[in-house]
Amino acid sequence: MSGHTVVLQVARVEAAHLSSLVGQFADLLNGSTSSDDDPAVARLVPTPYPDDDEAAREFRSLTETDLLTRRRGDAGIVLSSLAEAAGIPNDPEDPALLEEVEIRLEPETVRAWLRTLAAVRLVLAERLEIIGPEDHDPDDPRFGIYDWLGYRLDGLVASFDEE
Amino acid sequence: MSPLAAPSVDQGVDVSRRTDPDRPWQTVVWDDPVNLMSYVTHVFREYFGLPRAEAERLMLAVHNDGHAVVSQGPRERMELHAQAMHDYGLWATVRQEPQ
Repeated sequence: MSGHTVVLQVARVEAAHLSSLVGQFADLLNGSTSSDDDPAVARLVPTPYPDDDEAAREFRSLTETDLLTRRRGDAGIVLSSLAEAAGIPNDPEDPALLEEVEIRLEPETVRAWLRTLAAVRLVLAERLEIIGPEDHDPDDPRFGIYDWLGYRLDGLVASFDEE
Repeated sequence: MSPLAAPSVDQGVDVSRRTDPDRPWQTVVWDDPVNLMSYVTHVFREYFGLPRAEAERLMLAVHNDGHAVVSQGPRERMELHAQAMHDYGLWATVRQEPQ
């Protein structure tokens, strides 16, 4: 099994943004008891039987609740590990916002981070209607968030998997 | 990774839905435009315990061909694999080996 402790360096303002984003993700999961409510939640629990409605229903009834519960657990782990770093002053001019802090992530916590960052990107992609690699609008700030999450996810994978 | 390959493109092989005890079941991972290549490789390494080169080969198969069979065997086990892939945010389906 690959993976080890990772020390993440982030500015407090970045930690605060990430925490807010993952908080919204957790709210989305908490507000939804079923994938019927929202296509973004549906993307997190795809069916393995797209051509067989009966098998799809059965699989879903057996697995969907557990999967969404694990997602909530992952989001909670990410929020806990961000809590200290994400504490920022209200004054937008305060230099403490840009202070770099280290967040130490144990392997199980890294795994929760990876799954959560990937899932938040899936939700954003659903909202941004990304269905192909050409669907990218550099003038839309939401793509900036989407790309930034990808950058963080890619970096975390690289540190976690390095030999 | 690259353009979204909806699982419905597979509907041409409708006969594969019939249960035939002689044909093994498969877990298939589909390409999507969101998951990063590095992350998909990580998932294959971590979950299936593959060496890096093998995981990368499988990731590229998904990326280039739109999908790849990642495991083959009893239906229940293939469903467990699909569920695990969904936990990671990958898009996986279960089918009987096409004829």
